[in-house]
Amino acid sequence: MPDAFGAAPKVAIQNRRWFPWLLMGPTLLILFVVGIFPFGYSIWLASTNIILSKPYLDTWFVGLEQYQSLIQDPDFFNALRITLVFTGSAVFLEFWAGLGLALLFRRQIRGKALYRLAILLPMVMPPLVVGLVWKYMLFPNSGLISYYANALAGLIGVAPPTFLNEPGSALQTLIFIDVWQWTPFMFLILHAGLAAIPPEPYEAAEIDGAGAWRVFWTITMPMLKPAILIALVIRTMDAFRTYDQIAVLTAGGPGNATETLNIWLTNLAFRFFDVSKGAALSLIIFVLILIMSTIFIRILSRSRIDEGK
Amino acid sequence: MPRDLTRIASPDKPETERNWWVHVILLAVCVIAMLPVVWMVMTAFMPRDVAKAVPPQWLFPPTLDAFRMLIFEQGMLGFLKNSLIVSVSSTLLSVTIGMFCAYALARFEFAGKEDVSFWILTNRMMPAVAVILPMFLIFKTLNLLDTYVGLILLYTAMQLPFVVWMLKGYFEDIPRQLEEIALVDGDTWFGAFRRVVLPLMTPAITATAIFVLILSWNEYAFALFLSGSATKTLPPAVVIFAVNAEVSWDVLGAACLIITAPIMIFVIAVQKQFIRGLSMGMVR
Repeated sequence: MPDAFGAAPKVAIQNRRWFPWLLMGPTLLILFVVGIFPFGYSIWLASTNIILSKPYLDTWFVGLEQYQSLIQDPDFFNALRITLVFTGSAVFLEFWAGLGLALLFRRQIRGKALYRLAILLPMVMPPLVVGLVWKYMLFPNSGLISYYANALAGLIGVAPPTFLNEPGSALQTLIFIDVWQWTPFMFLILHAGLAAIPPEPYEAAEIDGAGAWRVFWTITMPMLKPAILIALVIRTMDAFRTYDQIAVLTAGGPGNATETLNIWLTNLAFRFFDVSKGAALSLIIFVLILIMSTIFIRILSRSRIDEGK
Repeated sequence: MPRDLTRIASPDKPETERNWWVHVILLAVCVIAMLPVVWMVMTAFMPRDVAKAVPPQWLFPPTLDAFRMLIFEQGMLGFLKNSLIVSVSSTLLSVTIGMFCAYALARFEFAGKEDVSFWILTNRMMPAVAVILPMFLIFKTLNLLDTYVGLILLYTAMQLPFVVWMLKGYFEDIPRQLEEIALVDGDTWFGAFRRVVLPLMTPAITATAIFVLILSWNEYAFALFLSGSATKTLPPAVVIFAVNAEVSWDVLGAACLIITAPIMIFVIAVQKQFIRGLSMGMVR
């Protein structure tokens, strides 16, 4: 930047090429240590056959054998299926429940702030505590919900609900608890998205005499699309990795009816100490999430471009 | 009838319509949302035999026995202190350094920018369990196991992707001209950043910090494996009371309340900033 008065050209610090890297330095350094190193270490672990509980066994380089044995393991597909069912159903239900609540909140109602506070509480609770409290309430026979559910079932003459104790109902119960905790998050994002829609299209629709159903599908949903996408992306990625609640509530049981990929991984690495297999599994999970989020981010940035942002 | 239906879709209508059914639905939702919280609080004050009584008892003489036992015999206040130290320091650290990174990504053009910002996000995708084993071995080598420094570093790394992505969006919304004016007036870069950009960013930074603080306060998996007797935070400490053969529900309830109460009271106190900041950050 040559000076008008002919002084020595001095480049201001913010114009130097390395300046953004200086600003990003600390962040990149920490993420490198905590992100890249475990990643590389996992790749190395997965290429051997170390079982921590059996240190007397010889270990050697096994190449891609760990991945191969995982992919041929029926447990892998069981865990993958359960993870997908859990993530898919929970996010689906949370989305419609959250959207319904957000739409209700657009009406003029008294006590909105109080309702909102009550609705938000579940999402602030530590997931671990959520697991413990529900476990207590669903404790067979004596838990609060079990007791009243049993009484109600006896009254109308159906079999009492089994909640976490039967393979058939355990996953559904876990999905319900996830919906209980994270619907508030969907609600919050969608509520903000609705508030950001300008009133003009609605006024035009009212003049045209469009019905509520058509207004919803032709105005509300398209204009809400960015908020919907971001809420779905965040929830899907987090639901896929759910660990605390499931670990406390069922630890994967009964049998392996609720054994998601994350729970299976923990069992492999910290119960059976088969760390090499665990490392291979963690890399497979990472690749799955990477593929999912790449697709999501593509969709997201495309919708941003559509909006002209 | 169609006239009536359009009102549902149109915002900002005065309260002329009859809304009793909305209140019924919202009350039902609130009961479902609050029931576990209320029952947890009640259990914490129950005498031991009431906590495991069948049928469940709604009325009982409240007692502080469980809290007394947790605080004086189990050293719960020590865990509370550890939780506070780790989550507050990691929040301050991650917001401070993440802020500059977000600013660089929002303001400067440089080669590999998109790659860097995507790579930062992928750090949030590795399952925590997958990171624990390598981190355990590194920490062991570096003597960082069961130290505050180790946990704070790990939590900071866990929060950084979120901080950077959230703040990046906010920085992009602040017009560049404001800083340029300050620079033309002879300010240094840091002076312009501090006097012009930071004040505008305060609400966004506050909201991000609140969210990140909740995340680290609630974190369980890392703390379980990487903290020890000197630094154990509340979540792994509470689980101890749940895995005993004979679970005393009153003690578990009280322990859960001790974890949950600080963060709930905090969120209720700052709910305006939290809700506004979080929703603005995600939806723009």
